[in-house]
Amino acid sequence: MFIGTDRLTHTYMPGTPYAKKALDNVSFEIKQGGFALVIGRSGSGKSTLIQHLNGLLKPTSGRVFFDGHDLGQKGSELLKIRRKIGLVFQMPEELFFSETIFDEIAFAPRNLGLEETEVQTRVIEALEEVGMEAEQFIDRHPFQLSAGQKRMVALAAVLSLRPEVLILDEPTAGLDHSGQKILFKLLASLNKKKNMTFIICTHHLDQVAALADQVLVLQEGRLVMDGFPQKIFGRRSQLIEMGLSPPVTAEIMADLAERGLDVRSDIFNLEDARAEINRLRRHRVK
Amino acid sequence: MSRSITLGQYYPGKSLIHRLNPRAKILSLVMVLILLFSLHTYEALLAQLAVALLLIWNTRVPFRYFLRGLRPILYIALFAIIIYFFFTSGGVVLLRIGFITVESHGVQQGIFIILRLITLVLFSLLLTLTTTPLALTHGIGYFLKPLRYVGLPTEEIAMIMAIALRFIPTLMEESQRLMRAQVSRGADFETGSIFRRAKSLVPLIVPLFVSAFRRADDLALAMEARGYRVGAVRTRMYEDTIMPLDWTVLLVVIAMVAVAWILGL
Repeated sequence: MFIGTDRLTHTYMPGTPYAKKALDNVSFEIKQGGFALVIGRSGSGKSTLIQHLNGLLKPTSGRVFFDGHDLGQKGSELLKIRRKIGLVFQMPEELFFSETIFDEIAFAPRNLGLEETEVQTRVIEALEEVGMEAEQFIDRHPFQLSAGQKRMVALAAVLSLRPEVLILDEPTAGLDHSGQKILFKLLASLNKKKNMTFIICTHHLDQVAALADQVLVLQEGRLVMDGFPQKIFGRRSQLIEMGLSPPVTAEIMADLAERGLDVRSDIFNLEDARAEINRLRRHRVK
Repeated sequence: MSRSITLGQYYPGKSLIHRLNPRAKILSLVMVLILLFSLHTYEALLAQLAVALLLIWNTRVPFRYFLRGLRPILYIALFAIIIYFFFTSGGVVLLRIGFITVESHGVQQGIFIILRLITLVLFSLLLTLTTTPLALTHGIGYFLKPLRYVGLPTEEIAMIMAIALRFIPTLMEESQRLMRAQVSRGADFETGSIFRRAKSLVPLIVPLFVSAFRRADDLALAMEARGYRVGAVRTRMYEDTIMPLDWTVLLVVIAMVAVAWILGL
């Protein structure tokens, strides 16, 4: 068991008229090096879930585990675990408070109590990881950057913890198409090269669907689906019924099938879709 | 902490008191408070306390919310007991410890004062627990209106109060979100000396200010886009009309005050 939950339930403001069950008996597991997507409508409990995975909330009942530890425990154990699980919040650039990009990224490693030379190494390493020239950027003010660059710095500010797991909440919110593309390319390479485990909450499945090897679907606090992307995105009508939009490529394939073409129904990324359509065309020509 | 601040004190419900017009409630409360201060017999005070308890029962708001509201006056009550019990003379001596005596007049008056205080707070809680902060602000704004003639921008004051109330939960939520986010980056807000802790608040306060200013900017723009002008007369989306029920309640309160005064209670 690497990271996951066991019958996790969370109730906000218990015992008041405003009490709300945000998570209800959620159990799942994500393997080391896995790339999981958490999808669901707003208010389905995604944000609550990922905060649990970072030990920021205490379960009302159930357990959250990571690498053999229970995150529900108090004390320094939690702090040790937390530095291995990086959490990138929605609109993470809103957290900026430093006067230079260096200080911003150095915040996390300094909190770990590292030597200043080690901090410096980590800041430069994190900036290069997100594809930014360290020398060019470290002395600049974070607010001078473009939206895409800010997002990358925010990501670097978490990567400087050298986490084993990276959790991202709506990482593409507010980014343009090319920004999204760059971001996902980066995540994919971190996943492959460093075997970093990813858990991503998102509404924009088109670009990220191809990277995933596991999809979790939340509905009103309950985990209603958990499995391979092929399996989940194959249940198109069910997803639509839940108010979720499957990847556009899956939609196109379904549309083609509806028009009487013999296409596979389990396609949800651009490369496979292209190959399948080419296969069809060749078939036609013959 | 966040729970008590987030939504004011309002406890949702559909009782008679919940449905009353906030203006009628505020006016009734003012009259009842004046009445409470003019009462000087135990019978009348206990009758008022009974009325308060009856109304509390009617609201269906759990009593522990009222108890929580009473907590702040605990120390005042304790202070009153000490002052009255030990320093008021007259009547029969009930207790003698060295040169300190507790005499019956003091005990009587002390208990009277505390009962009055409790009744007073209970009535006030009846208002704040059954009225949304926004309705309360509108109600207060209504009674401030006459002050416009002495040059006070009452509409604007009401607007400021309403906006402030509206944004308290938003900012609370925001600060909680920021706090969690910085904690996940290894920030520590809880341990260390006071100086250290104050310094550790910087990563929280700077983003909070940035977002508050941005929100204020957005709000100002949105308000102007919808035609808000300083000094203009505003109409309300929901006009709260005074219903027959409100008149009835007001008349009952006036009758109560009148009876008390005529009988000299």
